[in-house]
Amino acid sequence: MKLLDIAFKDLYRSFRNAMFLVFGLLLPLLTAGLFYFAFGGSGSGDSEFELPLTRVVVVNLDRPSGGFAAGESFLGILRESIPGVLQVTEARDWATARQAVDHQRAAVAVLIPAGFTTAALSPDGESVLELYQDPTLTLGPGIVRTMVNGFVDGLSGSRIAASTAYEQISAQGVVPDPRQIEAVALQYAAWVTSLAGTDLDQAAQSLNPSLFDLEPATADGQQSSGTVASILSQIMAGMMVFFVFFTGAATAQSILQEEAEGTLPRLFTTPTSHAAILGGKFAATFALLTVQVVMLVLVSSLVFGINWGPPRAVALVIASLVVLASSFGIFITSLLKDVRQSGIIYGGVMTVMGMIGMIGVFTAGAASTPAAVRQAALIVPQGWAVRSWQLLLDGAPVAQILVTVAVMLVAGIVLFATGVLRFQKRYA
Amino acid sequence: MKNDLAIKTQDLYKEFGDIHAVQGVSLEAQSGEILSLLGPNGAGKSTTISILACLLEPTRGDALIMGHSVRYEPMAVKSALGVVPQEIALYEDLSARANLRFWGKMYGLRGAPLERRVDQVLEVIGLSDRQTGAVNKFSGGMKRRLNIGIALLHKPDLLILDEPTVGIDPQTRRNILDSIKELNQSGMTVLYTTHYMEEAQELSDHIAIMDLGKVIAYGTHEELVKIVGEMHRIDLSLSARPEELLQAWQATEGVHQVTANVTEEEAALDVSCTVLVDDSNRVLPCLFESAGALGVRVTSVQIQEPNLETVFLHLTGRGLRD
Repeated sequence: MKLLDIAFKDLYRSFRNAMFLVFGLLLPLLTAGLFYFAFGGSGSGDSEFELPLTRVVVVNLDRPSGGFAAGESFLGILRESIPGVLQVTEARDWATARQAVDHQRAAVAVLIPAGFTTAALSPDGESVLELYQDPTLTLGPGIVRTMVNGFVDGLSGSRIAASTAYEQISAQGVVPDPRQIEAVALQYAAWVTSLAGTDLDQAAQSLNPSLFDLEPATADGQQSSGTVASILSQIMAGMMVFFVFFTGAATAQSILQEEAEGTLPRLFTTPTSHAAILGGKFAATFALLTVQVVMLVLVSSLVFGINWGPPRAVALVIASLVVLASSFGIFITSLLKDVRQSGIIYGGVMTVMGMIGMIGVFTAGAASTPAAVRQAALIVPQGWAVRSWQLLLDGAPVAQILVTVAVMLVAGIVLFATGVLRFQKRYA
Repeated sequence: MKNDLAIKTQDLYKEFGDIHAVQGVSLEAQSGEILSLLGPNGAGKSTTISILACLLEPTRGDALIMGHSVRYEPMAVKSALGVVPQEIALYEDLSARANLRFWGKMYGLRGAPLERRVDQVLEVIGLSDRQTGAVNKFSGGMKRRLNIGIALLHKPDLLILDEPTVGIDPQTRRNILDSIKELNQSGMTVLYTTHYMEEAQELSDHIAIMDLGKVIAYGTHEELVKIVGEMHRIDLSLSARPEELLQAWQATEGVHQVTANVTEEEAALDVSCTVLVDDSNRVLPCLFESAGALGVRVTSVQIQEPNLETVFLHLTGRGLRD
């Protein structure tokens, strides 16, 4: 009972402490919030993400053949695939289109040559689609280039379909009718054309992915938004771990503070066991960190739209983070002689450890980072905590998360036991 | 059953490595009395109190509080004790009431009895009208009162106060001394440590004078003063170095002890001497005569009747505040 009285008193004091509110809750959210707004307020795949408008000038010299117009089809895809991102206009000739790019009235110009459809339908036909872009721009022209590649792939598929039909008919000992072959190619081309403006994700899953290289720039820019959400989630996870470890240490430090203020020796003069006094203070540390982590997860989920993962897995990672950070706080505080030493430890050692632990966050977007550098984060407890959140965010298998969680819990128990023994010896 | 002896220490020792903080302290205090531990800083008073409050384990010996051993029954001892530490030990961000409520719980009080007792203590320490205000907004005197109030919550048999008047204004000091007398009159045993002999003289039924970890004298005020008999204490200030003069004074009839303290700051010499004599009226002219003969000018003289300071000086050759 007295243990709980001490824990409640410590919690009450912590919640009234502006330092906890600022460093424990506000700063992690503020840091993630800065990134959130820097990326245009995009935290999840569901929210709006504004890509800059790309003006495209198309010169279409192609004419229909056999009821199919490849040039017109491509124009349709450009116009309808990403409304609001690509603004497509037509120009009479190539020189005018290039001039529009040169004067920065358009980001990219596309020339669909005459005979494009015929070449596409002919087994040996050749045709060249020309692109002319503003060299200072990358995103808009990149999207158009991707779409061109995708469309050309589709046409290549059409040609392959025709060749396959030709070979199969020949294999049956029948001389292929050119009109039959053209009909197959047209059928394939019509199917490709029908994909424009439909759910390309679904199509990509059921068909050759190379045909749908447009996916990176799908309607609403969801892929880009998802990347931003991923970065934001990583930053939030890193900030959470960084500050939660500080809170753990600062809360455990209240033991030293009470010693310096005389209230701890005074507690020892009351008929309260040392176990209840220290246990109460440790319980307060665990409880405070639980509140902190749960609040950070909930608030970041609601405000930034971060999807942390399945609730049970999230609960598991929260529990292991709380155990590890609290135990680490108790352990490191048990090494200190007095409150004055804590300034050096918290300001220097823990900041460095936190930074090492966040290597995984800093290098999240850099695929070329050597594995050894990423593994270096695991030399500090913070690194394991960050890793557990990253696995969760990456949708890693439960078994993989469990291994990390197990490491955190074992490390937590060892640190806690060591810290408690040291405190017991100190106040024996 | 009420124990007649509130405190009984038996040959207590406490050593910190090579430092012998307490050396064979044996004391007794009857229930309902005020016992003061008087001595300069470093005399071992606080260490002795820490042992009695079960904060420190004695290296040797034992102490009984209300019949309970500090070694073997610390919880029973703690339940019987109310300890007022020398430094203010409060949660300053909490209110006076929240402080009392928390500490009351630590002494095992709960529910309605706790709330009633908190109200009573707030009344006793005169903080009823400030009970909801944060302690960090209190004056030093108010904090001192609350610091004492906490130790009264569970109506302890023995109240231990460790130099509660250090560094406070005269009015607060007066209030604290009056409160201690009232508590004692209500039947509470008090163990009081101080290095102010006036406080020990005013409050105590018995006084133990401590120095260098030992009890060098124990008794009532009158008994202690008798140690130095009817000796008077003469404090003198001199204008020159006193080596020869001290020898002359020491040889004077009626002089029992001569001590001197010489300080020199920015070429200004400050020499103060204390002389214990049988009869100041008879000896003082001889002291002046010796000083004149050696060309030393006496710049001030103060004569004191025998008191605890004189006793300490007589026993140790040093003043209480040296």
